Amino acid sequence: MTSKLSTQSGIPLQPVYRPEDLSDAPYEKDLADPGSFPYTRGRRLEADGGNWIWRELSGEGDPKRSNEQLKYLLSKGQMGIDFVADTPTYTMLDADHPQARHAVGTQGVSLCRKVDYVDLLRDIPLDEISVSASVRAEFGIIGLYMATRELGFDPALLRGSVIQSTLYGEDCCYAVHLPLDLRLRLTCDSIEFSSEKMPKFHSFIEDTYYISDGGLDAVEEMALGFIEIRFIVRELLRRGVPIDSFAPRIAILVNGHTDLFETVAKIRATRRLFARMMRDEFGAKDPRSMAVNVTGHSSGLSLTAEQPANNIVRGAIQALAMALAGVQAMEISTFDEAYRTPSPQSHEVGLRTQQIIQLESLVSQVNDPLGGSYFVENLTDDVENRIWKMVSDIEATGDIMDLSEQGYFRRIFADTMVRNANWVAEGRQKKVGVNCFQVPPEEDTLLRDIVEQKFEPAHAHVEKVKRFRAERDQGAVDDALRLVLDCVKESETNLMYPMMDALEANATMGEIAGILRVACDHPYDPFHAVESPIAA
Amino acid sequence: MTNKRPTAKVYIGLLGLDQHEAGALSVTRMLSEAGVEVVYGGRFNLPANIAAAAVDEDVDLIGLSCHSWEYLYYIDELVAALAAAGKQVPIVLGGSVITSKDEADLRERGVAATFGSSSTPDQIVSEVVRLAQTARETS
Repeated sequence: MTSKLSTQSGIPLQPVYRPEDLSDAPYEKDLADPGSFPYTRGRRLEADGGNWIWRELSGEGDPKRSNEQLKYLLSKGQMGIDFVADTPTYTMLDADHPQARHAVGTQGVSLCRKVDYVDLLRDIPLDEISVSASVRAEFGIIGLYMATRELGFDPALLRGSVIQSTLYGEDCCYAVHLPLDLRLRLTCDSIEFSSEKMPKFHSFIEDTYYISDGGLDAVEEMALGFIEIRFIVRELLRRGVPIDSFAPRIAILVNGHTDLFETVAKIRATRRLFARMMRDEFGAKDPRSMAVNVTGHSSGLSLTAEQPANNIVRGAIQALAMALAGVQAMEISTFDEAYRTPSPQSHEVGLRTQQIIQLESLVSQVNDPLGGSYFVENLTDDVENRIWKMVSDIEATGDIMDLSEQGYFRRIFADTMVRNANWVAEGRQKKVGVNCFQVPPEEDTLLRDIVEQKFEPAHAHVEKVKRFRAERDQGAVDDALRLVLDCVKESETNLMYPMMDALEANATMGEIAGILRVACDHPYDPFHAVESPIAA
Repeated sequence: MTNKRPTAKVYIGLLGLDQHEAGALSVTRMLSEAGVEVVYGGRFNLPANIAAAAVDEDVDLIGLSCHSWEYLYYIDELVAALAAAGKQVPIVLGGSVITSKDEADLRERGVAATFGSSSTPDQIVSEVVRLAQTARETS
C-alpha cells in the first residue's frame, strides 16, 4: 500500500503481477478476440497483425509550400497525409486579419479560402491515400469536399478524418469566440453533412491528444474525451439522427505517452468502454458503431528543448506503445517539437521511426501481443474503472453545457498545466536532460542547428489574401453572407450548405465566422479590428 | 502599511494569437506564491494594450510567455509603445522556442531577460523580482 511504484498517472503498481490479479470474468466478456465485442483487443482481427497508416503532422507557410511538404513526405513512404492549420486558421481568422499578421503559416498551413484547400491538395492522390486534417471541422470538411471535387475526385470515396473540438477548443486550444450552442450545432451539422456526402470519411475525431498535451494524465485525457463524445452523441440523437448512421464515423485520436504500459492499457480500455457505451447506453446495433477506430499521436509535451536528440527515443517508445496497442494510424511528434513545427529532417526521422517499428521490430505481426499479460490486463481494468468513475463524477456534477460556461473545464486544463510544470520542476516526474542528467548549454549541441532554425511568417500570403478580397465580386459575397446570417436563425437548416456556398462565392472563412458570431449577438470580430462586409 | 506591499507587481500575458497558456499560468502561480502581485493579461494581447495595461496597473515588469514566434515581430512595437507611454519597465520573455541566438538579438532590442525551458522556478522568480524591484526603485 505504501509502494511508490506508479504509472505516469499515479496509478499504484505492484512489483509483480500474478494470475490472481486477473479479473474473474470469462474471456468473452471483457476481452474476446480482436474484432469481437467488446473490442478490447482490437477493432478487427487482422490477418497480418495490423499495419497502421504512417503519417506525420505537416503544414507550414502558404498552401503551396505545404503542398510541397506533403508531396515530400509521400515520396518518403508516408501512407496518408496529415495537415494542421496555422493559428489564425484555427482561430477562424483570415490571414490578413491584423491580429494574425505575425502568425500566418508558422505553426501550420494558412487556409481561409476555397482556393487554399485546392492549392494544398493539388497533385495529391486523394483516391489512394487518407487525409487527416487538424483544422476546424466544419471548414475542414467543406474545404476538403470542395477541393476534392475541384481536383477531379469523388468526395464520396474520400477517406480521412477531421477533429471536432466542440467542447474544449475555447479552453485549451484555439478560441473561435463562438458560443457553445452554436459550436455544437456546427459539429452536428458537419457530421450529418459528412455522413451523407463523404460516407467513408471520419467526420468525428475525438481528439484527446490536444486536450491532454497541456498536462492531463491518461485517465483525465480519456474521461474528458468520453465526456465530449457523449455530449455530441446525445445532441445528434436528440436531433433524431440514428446512432448507426454516424457512430461508425467516430474515431479517437489519443496521446501516446512515454509510460508504455499505461498507454497500451489506456487504448485497450478505451476500445472496451466505447463499445459498451455505444451498445448498452446509446443502442447501437451495427458492430462498426461499437468497434472504434483509435489513432495516436506521440506526446509533444513529453519532448524537451534540452538534448533534443533524446526526443527521438521518446518518440520511438511512444510509437512502440501505440503499435503494441494496435492503432489504425499514428504521428510522431518530432525531435524539434519544443522549438518549431517539424523540419524536413525531423519529419523524416519520425517517419523512419514508424517504418522501423513496423518493418524491423516485427511487434505488430500478432494482434494485441500484450493481451493476457497479468499486468497489462490488470492495468487495463484499473484504467477503465478510473476513466469511467471520472466520467460519472463529472456528469453528476452538472449539465455539461453549464459546466463549460462556468469555466469548470477551463479550470481543469489550467490546473493540470500547472501541476505538470510543478512535477517536472520538483523532479517528481523524471525528465532526462531537464531535471536529471543535464548538460551545460555549451555541450548541448547535437541537432541544435536543426531545431533552432526559424522561418518567416507567410507575409506574402497575407498580401495575396488582401488582393483577393479587393478583386472579387463583392455583391456575390455579400449575398452569400446574408444567406448564412438568415440560416443561423433557422435552427432546422444545416449550416454547412450556406457556408459552402459562401466559400464558393469567394467569401472567406473569417467573414463566415464573423457572420456566425453576429447571428449569435456576438461581435463580428472578437478583436474589434475588422468590420462586417454586410449590415447586420 | 509598506510591509504589506507585494515584493513586486508584474504583468504576465501572451502575444498575438499565441494561445498555449501553460507557461504563463505556471509562472503566474510561482510568482504569486513568492509574494509577487501578478496582473494576468492572458491571451490575445498586442503591444498597444500591453503598454496600456502596464500604465493602468502601474506594473514594475512585463513578462510574456512565448510558444509561437510572434514575439520576434512584436517586441520592437512593444518597446516603442512603452517608451511612448513613458512607462519604461523591463520586459522579460519565457518559452522553449526562444533560442540562444534569439536571446542575444532580443537583448539588443530592449528585452531585459529571457528564460528557456531549462530555467528553474527559483531562477525565474528571483530574476523577475530583482528586475522588478530595481525598476520600482529607479522609477
